[in-house]
Amino acid sequence: MQLRIEAVTKEYATVTAVNQVSFQIQSGEIFALLGPNGAGKSSIIRMLVGMTKPDAGSISVSYQDQTFQHVPRRLLGYLPEDRGLYGDKSVEKNLLFLAQLHGLGKTEALSRMEHWLEVFELTERRHDDLKQLSKGNQQKVQLIAAVLHQPALVILDEPFSGLDPINQEKVVEFLKQLKQNGMTVILSAHQMAMVEKLADRMVLMAKGEVVLAGTLAEIRQQAQPEVQIQLSSKTPLPIDWLRSLDAVTAVELPQPEQAVLTLDQDAEVGPVLQQLLGRIEPEQIAMQKPDLHQLYLNAMSRHQRQTPQEAAA
Amino acid sequence: MISRQSLIVARWEFLRFFKWKQQLISYLLMLAVMGGVFAWVYLTDESRQQYRIAVPVSFAVQSTGQFEFQRPSIDLSQQLQQLRDHQTWHAVLAYQDERWVLHTGASSKWLPQLEQVLQNYFQLQRAGDFGLTDAQLNELQQPEPIERSFLDDDFKGEDTPEKMIAFAVLILLLIGLSTAFGQILMSITGEKQQRVTEQLYAILTPQQWMDGKVLGHSFSALKAMLTTTLVMLVFFVVVSLIAGDGLDLSWLNWWVLLWLIPFALAGLLLCACFMGAIAASIDDPNTSGKGVVMMVTWLPLLFTYLVIDSPSGWAMTLLSWLPLTSFAAMPVRMSMVEVPWWQLSLSLALLLATLYYMRRLGGRIFLRGMQMYGKEPSWGDIMRWALSRKAD
Repeated sequence: MQLRIEAVTKEYATVTAVNQVSFQIQSGEIFALLGPNGAGKSSIIRMLVGMTKPDAGSISVSYQDQTFQHVPRRLLGYLPEDRGLYGDKSVEKNLLFLAQLHGLGKTEALSRMEHWLEVFELTERRHDDLKQLSKGNQQKVQLIAAVLHQPALVILDEPFSGLDPINQEKVVEFLKQLKQNGMTVILSAHQMAMVEKLADRMVLMAKGEVVLAGTLAEIRQQAQPEVQIQLSSKTPLPIDWLRSLDAVTAVELPQPEQAVLTLDQDAEVGPVLQQLLGRIEPEQIAMQKPDLHQLYLNAMSRHQRQTPQEAAA
Repeated sequence: MISRQSLIVARWEFLRFFKWKQQLISYLLMLAVMGGVFAWVYLTDESRQQYRIAVPVSFAVQSTGQFEFQRPSIDLSQQLQQLRDHQTWHAVLAYQDERWVLHTGASSKWLPQLEQVLQNYFQLQRAGDFGLTDAQLNELQQPEPIERSFLDDDFKGEDTPEKMIAFAVLILLLIGLSTAFGQILMSITGEKQQRVTEQLYAILTPQQWMDGKVLGHSFSALKAMLTTTLVMLVFFVVVSLIAGDGLDLSWLNWWVLLWLIPFALAGLLLCACFMGAIAASIDDPNTSGKGVVMMVTWLPLLFTYLVIDSPSGWAMTLLSWLPLTSFAAMPVRMSMVEVPWWQLSLSLALLLATLYYMRRLGGRIFLRGMQMYGKEPSWGDIMRWALSRKAD
């Protein structure tokens, strides 16, 4: 399966939710859509699912010598952002109903259900009404519902939201297993640490546009000119002064005595270090490789600073 | 064609609202209430008792099964004392101040019946005064029978069993539509509230979803209609057996029944589609006023009922042709007048065509409503979608 999104634009009454977005997704990869709320991720997902159509541009889905304008239902497993199941029915009844709608026989559905309930440690709760489960467990049931029929493509809109760190790790393992089973996975998320572990390729979006795209290494390369300096001192750092430095584009303060400075991509590191050493007595100073979270923040901040002319260019 | 998935949804929807234990209990309660009402009526029936009435010695009225007239020799004040003490009399009749006075403890259900017996006696007395015999008086009291003759050969008569069937169909349709109304509103808007809708969209087309909903809730409505019919039949059988009449169903007109069923079924489905379409346009039932519009489906029943006494009139004829009302009006009309088979067929065909359109409209409104993401479509939007041919 291959998905090709070309110059897709989607407009609602007063907003352009997606603006000239293009990317491709290859078969068997985990692809992440990243971006803040309102970036256009869910709008793209809804167009992929076929709920809405692009106002301009095109979507093509190739599968076994056939091409479609959206992902055909029989190939799709979907976890929407706006999700829920029947609270007054048991876990088993909910899953069986959805599996049968996907065309699975009862025996086959029950056997697959048992496997996934085991994976998510929900076997004991299978006869409980869904509303009796915690929000996290309900979400796990919904994840199972999305993959019970072993679709070729799984689209998961915010699969980590509402989950505690332990369950987030479980979902990471779950997604890795889907990949091993040969499924293509598209996910949207805010949890950069999770995405960093999982995604083969990704796009970072802001205000309906693609800001960065590629593998994590490619994204690092694209954003590499931005150097980060990790700084720690015995006394609280002068945050306002750090922010006022011309070459510094972002300052993160994990603690009052620690800071991570992101430099403008055109800045030279030497003068900045001299300025820092002239004002602060650092306990430790080091250059660091930005993680996805940092790259994401930098990209967002750069995108927000862009003038409309730059954006247009 | 109805897809396999629609049938799965239909089964799911039917079983969601099928609580057989509660249903059984409610029917048993209904039977118990009906039994209780009859027992109460029987126990409080004062006509089965015989009442002792004191009348003047000169009063020659004959006792009846319900009233025993006695002529005590004691004076009126003593009679009234006995009445007050509930010892001897239920009522005392006396001639006082040139008028008849009936003394009783308090008002009772049997008093009008007693007065009727007394009036008959007084009339006999007056007839005697005029020199009339009992036979002459009896003839004088008989009303002159006036027979109604209907020149319309197609009219089957006023109080035919078919008319009772038509009434029963109207009542059963009302029960079915009420059942469907509550369930469809709760099911579709509840699904939106529980946020299941978008997930289902990835599995089913909006049309499959709407077909499943309509079928499932129509089955529920049919079940309610059938069980009500059964309860009514059981009641009819029990009453017939108690009355010693035996079970006689010869009055049933099977030809009329045969036509009633497709009209009632198509009408039920049509109304369920309409209700589904309206419910699909409701985002939040707590703030939307659109739910009330679903009650429009009851209007055909009301309009038909209002013209039921004029089955050949223009109003009933019009209602029996209009596809939105024919499901209620045509069964009533055909029960009371002969309707040519081609008229029945054409009216049914129009109804089925409208049903098909309403089914498609329901699917369209569901899809478009979902694409609005939390914003409820206006009536203008709905009208535009109704007139549009685009399916997605």
